[in-house]
Amino acid sequence: MLAAAAMLPLAAVSGCGGVDVLDAPPSRAPDVIMLGEAIAAEQLLIRWYTAVLRDAGNAGGSPGGLTAVLEPMLAEHREHLSQLKSRLVIPVGSAASPSPTRRAAKPAGPGAGSAGVAFLRDAEQAAAAAMLDRLRSAPGSLAQLYASISASEATHVPVLDAAAAGTTSQVTG
Amino acid sequence: MSSRAAPARGTVTALQSALAAEHAAVYGYGVVGAYLTGSQQGTATTDWVAHQVARDRLEAMLRSAGASQPAAAAVAYQLPMPVRNAREAVALAVVLEDRVATAYLGLVALSNAAIREYGAQQVQASALRAAAWRGSTVAFPGLTSAALAPPRRPAS
Repeated sequence: MLAAAAMLPLAAVSGCGGVDVLDAPPSRAPDVIMLGEAIAAEQLLIRWYTAVLRDAGNAGGSPGGLTAVLEPMLAEHREHLSQLKSRLVIPVGSAASPSPTRRAAKPAGPGAGSAGVAFLRDAEQAAAAAMLDRLRSAPGSLAQLYASISASEATHVPVLDAAAAGTTSQVTG
Repeated sequence: MSSRAAPARGTVTALQSALAAEHAAVYGYGVVGAYLTGSQQGTATTDWVAHQVARDRLEAMLRSAGASQPAAAAVAYQLPMPVRNAREAVALAVVLEDRVATAYLGLVALSNAAIREYGAQQVQASALRAAAWRGSTVAFPGLTSAALAPPRRPAS
């Protein structure tokens, strides 16, 4: 569990009766920054899955198959996000989550249909690799969570490969 | 006389646990393969070999860490469930992989960077095999429900 208390501006009562704001709040610990990045990455994946599912619904074709494939993985990403957030202690009055220092990869949104599925596949692969990078310098228990999430995301890749092949065959067949 | 420093007890314990899980998986896949045919049997054979390779790697890592006695395989193992047909054999493969993934997460908690990375790679490999057998994915491969319980907040 990581505390983000370092983000709070601190005040001290001076000996002369005034209240002085301390010069600068201490910077966030690297673990907290990394956890914020992991949270942001999961939020981005959830947004992308939601967008592809919405497009599949709007396309009016046969979204049922794609929805059945994507929704369980979207649910798993929501579980990832929930677990990651539970490891972060947010003091009252501070921001809801620490802002990541780097923007997550792939700022562009996914396309529709098979392009969207291929986009999600690449995003999952990149997310799994990024999560492995994070665990190298994480505390033990958090490293285990990162490793497990990375493994989960890696298992999404072949599912999306199969879905992309199915989507393509529907389009071309 | 060896000049090698004594290995950290936690490191050896985690490696031995992973090795024990691999020994059990090698044994278990022998049972799994016996009940399968065709491409499923081929997959079981591939996975069986992967566990043998991992077992050998762990034994080498233990020796490299200075452990005098890598855990030996048992002559036989009590299976966690009865296996009488292909469906139950597939279910056993899933359980074997889940247990192996949990054991490798023990390596991920270690401070040694190389061992930690190897553990994470093996968690991933095991999760991929488990998902293929299960036909679906899970949110937290290898993590037990206890590990996923909400962390205790410090008293305010």
